[in-house]
Amino acid sequence: MDHGSPSQEHVSHLALDIGGSLTKLDYFSRNNECSNGDNNEEKSCSKESLLVSNGDKKCPVLQGRLHFAKFETSKINDCLEFIQRNQLHLGGCQHGGAPGNEKRIIKATGGGAYKNADLFKEKLGIFLDKEDEMDCLVAGANFLLKAVHEEAYTYIDGRKEFVQIDRDDLYPYLLVNIGSGVDGDGKYERVSGTNVGGGTFWGLGRLLTKCESFDELLELSHRGNNRVIDMLVGDIYGGMDYTKFGLSSTTIASSFGKAISDNKEIEDYNAEDVARSLLRMISNNIGQISYLNALRFGLKRIFFGGFFIRGHAYTMDTISVGVNFWSKGEAKALFLRHEGFLGALGAFTSYEKHGFGDSIVRQLVQQSPLSASHAGYKIHGPLNGEWNDNESIECSVYVN
Amino acid sequence: MAGPRESPILETNDIKEERREEVSLDKNKPEDKERERERDNNMAPPAGSSIHRSSSRPQLDLSKAAIQGNSEERDPTILLPNQSDDISSHLALDIGGSLIKLVYFSRHEDHSTDDKRKKNVKERLGISNGNRRSYPILGGRLHFVKFETHKINECLDFIYSKRLHHGIDSHSWLTDAPTNENATIKATGGGAYKFADFFRQRLGVTLDKEDEMDCLVAGANFLLKAIRHEAFTHREGQKEFVQIDHNELFPYLLVNIGSGVSMIKVDGDGKFQRVSGTNVGGGTYWGLGRLLTKCKSFDELLELSQRGDNRTIDMLVGDIYGGMDYSKIGLSASTIASSFGKAISENKELGDYRPEDISLSLLRMISYNIGQISYLNALRFGLKRIFFGGFFIRGHAYTMDTISFAVKFWSKGEAQAMFLRHEGFLGALGAFMSHEKHGLDDVMVHQLVERFPMGAPYTGGKIHGPPLGDLNEKISWMEKFVLKGTEIIAPVPMAPPGTTGLGGFEVPSSKGGTLRSDASALNVGVLHLVPTLEVFPLLADPKMYEPNTIDLTDHGELEYWFTVLSEHLPDLVDKAVASEGGTEDAKRRGDAFARAFSAHLARLMEEPTAYGKLGLANLLELREECLREFQFVDAYRSIKQRENEASLAVLPDLLMELDSMSEEARLLTLIEGVLAANIFDWGSRACVDLYNKGTIIEIYRMSRDKMQRPWRVDDFDVFKERMLGSGDQKPRPHKRALLFVDNSGADVVLGMLPLARELLRRGTEVVLVANSLPALNDVTAMELPDIVAEAAKHCDVLRRAAEAGGLLVDAMVSGQDGSKESSSLVPLMVVENGCGSPCIDLRQVSSELAAAAKDADLIILEGMGRALHTNFNARFKCNALKLAMVKNQRLAEKLIKGNIYDCVCRYEPAR
Repeated sequence: MDHGSPSQEHVSHLALDIGGSLTKLDYFSRNNECSNGDNNEEKSCSKESLLVSNGDKKCPVLQGRLHFAKFETSKINDCLEFIQRNQLHLGGCQHGGAPGNEKRIIKATGGGAYKNADLFKEKLGIFLDKEDEMDCLVAGANFLLKAVHEEAYTYIDGRKEFVQIDRDDLYPYLLVNIGSGVDGDGKYERVSGTNVGGGTFWGLGRLLTKCESFDELLELSHRGNNRVIDMLVGDIYGGMDYTKFGLSSTTIASSFGKAISDNKEIEDYNAEDVARSLLRMISNNIGQISYLNALRFGLKRIFFGGFFIRGHAYTMDTISVGVNFWSKGEAKALFLRHEGFLGALGAFTSYEKHGFGDSIVRQLVQQSPLSASHAGYKIHGPLNGEWNDNESIECSVYVN
Repeated sequence: MAGPRESPILETNDIKEERREEVSLDKNKPEDKERERERDNNMAPPAGSSIHRSSSRPQLDLSKAAIQGNSEERDPTILLPNQSDDISSHLALDIGGSLIKLVYFSRHEDHSTDDKRKKNVKERLGISNGNRRSYPILGGRLHFVKFETHKINECLDFIYSKRLHHGIDSHSWLTDAPTNENATIKATGGGAYKFADFFRQRLGVTLDKEDEMDCLVAGANFLLKAIRHEAFTHREGQKEFVQIDHNELFPYLLVNIGSGVSMIKVDGDGKFQRVSGTNVGGGTYWGLGRLLTKCKSFDELLELSQRGDNRTIDMLVGDIYGGMDYSKIGLSASTIASSFGKAISENKELGDYRPEDISLSLLRMISYNIGQISYLNALRFGLKRIFFGGFFIRGHAYTMDTISFAVKFWSKGEAQAMFLRHEGFLGALGAFMSHEKHGLDDVMVHQLVERFPMGAPYTGGKIHGPPLGDLNEKISWMEKFVLKGTEIIAPVPMAPPGTTGLGGFEVPSSKGGTLRSDASALNVGVLHLVPTLEVFPLLADPKMYEPNTIDLTDHGELEYWFTVLSEHLPDLVDKAVASEGGTEDAKRRGDAFARAFSAHLARLMEEPTAYGKLGLANLLELREECLREFQFVDAYRSIKQRENEASLAVLPDLLMELDSMSEEARLLTLIEGVLAANIFDWGSRACVDLYNKGTIIEIYRMSRDKMQRPWRVDDFDVFKERMLGSGDQKPRPHKRALLFVDNSGADVVLGMLPLARELLRRGTEVVLVANSLPALNDVTAMELPDIVAEAAKHCDVLRRAAEAGGLLVDAMVSGQDGSKESSSLVPLMVVENGCGSPCIDLRQVSSELAAAAKDADLIILEGMGRALHTNFNARFKCNALKLAMVKNQRLAEKLIKGNIYDCVCRYEPAR
């Protein structure tokens, strides 16, 4: 298995985001040979030594990688096993048997951090240090948008275009994870939300199509045609547009609206078409609610994160169209390459706040945009999206 | 559980069968009608019934035709003042993706307005003859019907059977008018385009397409302005009607939830903008619901949701946070984090979930989403009021609660979600209004009366079959209904006010068990347009006026009256059947009436606000309307006649007795007499028992002798001072007194007439105000002239005043020529009050009464219905005397902290 063999590296700072459907984790690994710069201290590095280095005027640099992985929360044992096997929970300690310190603390966020706290303690002997979910999302997004080159992009008419974000001109923006209004480092307000999200897509999709996984469902939707099930403006108006209000005949008037008049059972529909209609319904809705919230606060940029999107072209397209349509082109939908890991990244960055040094991560700078290493862990089968390609970020950490 | 689920819905086939039978029955009908007419004539010939009872045939009435304007003009308009041009009825359609809504107008079955009494009254009161001008609106009825779009043939059949497509109402079948090749029907909704050819082929009509949004807005504006109890809020199972000031109506957000959802900012009549919408609407609920549950209809799906528990499928905040709230951002553990989110993590198939739970999750997801998007849009434009309409809602409590909650939650209580009783008919109404001559533009609230014929709650509201129009259909339907074994008259325990917890996040209040087959039927009646109705001009504060003294939203109160009316029902049916000669047909109708009224009661027990805000007056009127619906024209006819005769026989003695008294003693005796005579009331159980024990005069005397002042409410001395003055000061007499009379028999003859006589003697004009239509044993305006004429035979005061008031022109066959001096005398007049109920809502009275009120400076309201059940708290611009004997223990305790047979004499000087 090509898991990037993290155990061969110096692993540190595991952080978890245990959501309702997925558990995301990220951790930092330092290459043995990676040191450069003027300080060798990190060679013998452990967290403790980082702490010692605190206050040093010179900037030590840790070269390494940030790894990302995800698991289904329902299969949390896989996750535990993964952590165990790669000894991620042993923190920055180079060699398995950590001396002394009995109380190993791992940063975690998401609802599951509460729910599964006992499980982690029992199985791995680690304590989950719970970080607020919203704090983490915002911290993760801010981190990505500032530190990672070519993180944000627009997706319009099937074309992906990276957007250069000026760090000084980042705020305010609307973060939709789904739903956080952001106006600065650590300054944010949850302004809205919706219960129609990724879970709905997957849940309804499973019931309707018998798909085995989220990814399979997405895959299906690729090949579907929503016109079979959705009632379009044209269906109501006998093929005509309702031009007075700018509704074209292909605008969806009512998602799943056609299912009412046909004498068809669920089996009579292609799973592909069902998946497609469902996807459009949900992404449209998210796009609309996001735009309306952006409008409230005069925000022009809306960043979409969360696992629902998964770099899925059609999803992004629909959301973009939704935002574009309702805002009459005023607002833009932007997507994040690490969309699913905002929370986990945020939890990761929270180490610093708690005495692991002024900043490991704030100064973390991504050196190369992409790494081909496959550090992550697939859920089910291959996913042809681009997401796989960046499951780790190669980076340098400048330590103060 | 099985009971309510078993659908008593008749398939169309059944109804068609029924139609066939009915044809044969119909043949007998003209005879019946003839007989009925004869009876009518026998009963009250002089009252002007010689006038033609308008047959239902349309014919041009050319009497008094005149050319309007300059007759030298080319093609001058010819005005036919007596021809109501409402032969043609209008039809409008709203053909949506899933439902067809139909609104049509039929003219009144014209009770002639041309009798002589009225003409006299009109002249006397100075109502101009050309008063058609002041009532540009045609009298008639607006009907509301719906069909499923995929059963469009049923809709076409309905239109065809009612001949609505000819632009001529159902009564015109005899004219055999040449079918207008260019007949058009106003239509809106997407289907107006899609089905245009279909309508042309099948009915030969052209659909005249009206813009959908225009129609929605026009419909909503009309409803919000013209119907008193149209808009309501719905929170945690509680429905509350909202009175909306016309001047503060705009701007508002109109959210129409059909298959899809449109959100419209409305700034005024015809001024609006579609600001948003969503594709997740009613079609999504039904479409997804059908796929997931295999339900056969929207209503079935909705009904399923009543018994659902969404927690099995939705992922709640508590599920993610291990039962803890995520209080930091204000989310409770029961907040839904992800609709259908639980379906992902369990190894369950679709078949492992209860369809009930699925339906509820779906309903919640969609309602909540609509509420949220609506609020966000309201916020954009600073709108505080959001009205939700469209067929998705269907008066469904959980849906409304969820939407309300979403709006409240996201707006932090700033914005308010409101719903409309005619929610589904906005578009169709709007299309109807696009008729050039719909005549609804100027309709005022007081000109609309909503009635709930059996066709409305049980069939007109159903999607499943065409509404029943004909009486025989109705009766057959009621019989069939009972045959099907669904006991609709069983009292339904009322669910406690629903505790939907966090406004819909919890399981809906367990209404499931009590949900009846018609729960999703429209709570929409037939709108009667009565252009001659007006607001009683002497109300001190018409805006604040509330007729009902008893608010039936109090459950205990409702239960009590429910019992009272139920217990009284068998007796009423007996009387009604007897009044129609006790024939088999009458018995059949009597049975049907009993079932229909019981069904109404059961419906209202279950949902007191089903027909709008419910007061006792509405309930009592409903009973009368229901009797009329089953063609019991006057159930107490013979009783009233008998009692009138008996009372008139003893009147001379009474008058003599009175005349022997001093002025002061006489006034007291007169008031005592009114109170004593008010004991004769067939509406009161206690009094019905009394009847069996003695003769009228015995009871009257006994009752009067028992009068002991002070009465429970006793303002007699104040009234006496106004009438007689104190010391040497003689007050000036009242100019005109309006006497609202109550029951026939002793009540009016021995109570009110002598009082009227006293007023006349003092130089006060007297207007007797009586019901337009019969209600219990209440005397009607039609009957009064006869009674007065009979009384006048023994009393000069009454005779001269009645002549002066034009009451005796027809009645006194022995025309005395002394009538020349009559103009100098104070007249006694009779006006109808515009209603057919034992109570009176003074917001809607006849134009006659309104005109008579102009010069009045004294009002006397008599009897429980008009002085206690309604108007007890009403305040007037002139002096008012309220007189009644309380013949109901509960009311006595509640209203005056007294006992049964206590008396009320409340005098309130002008404000």
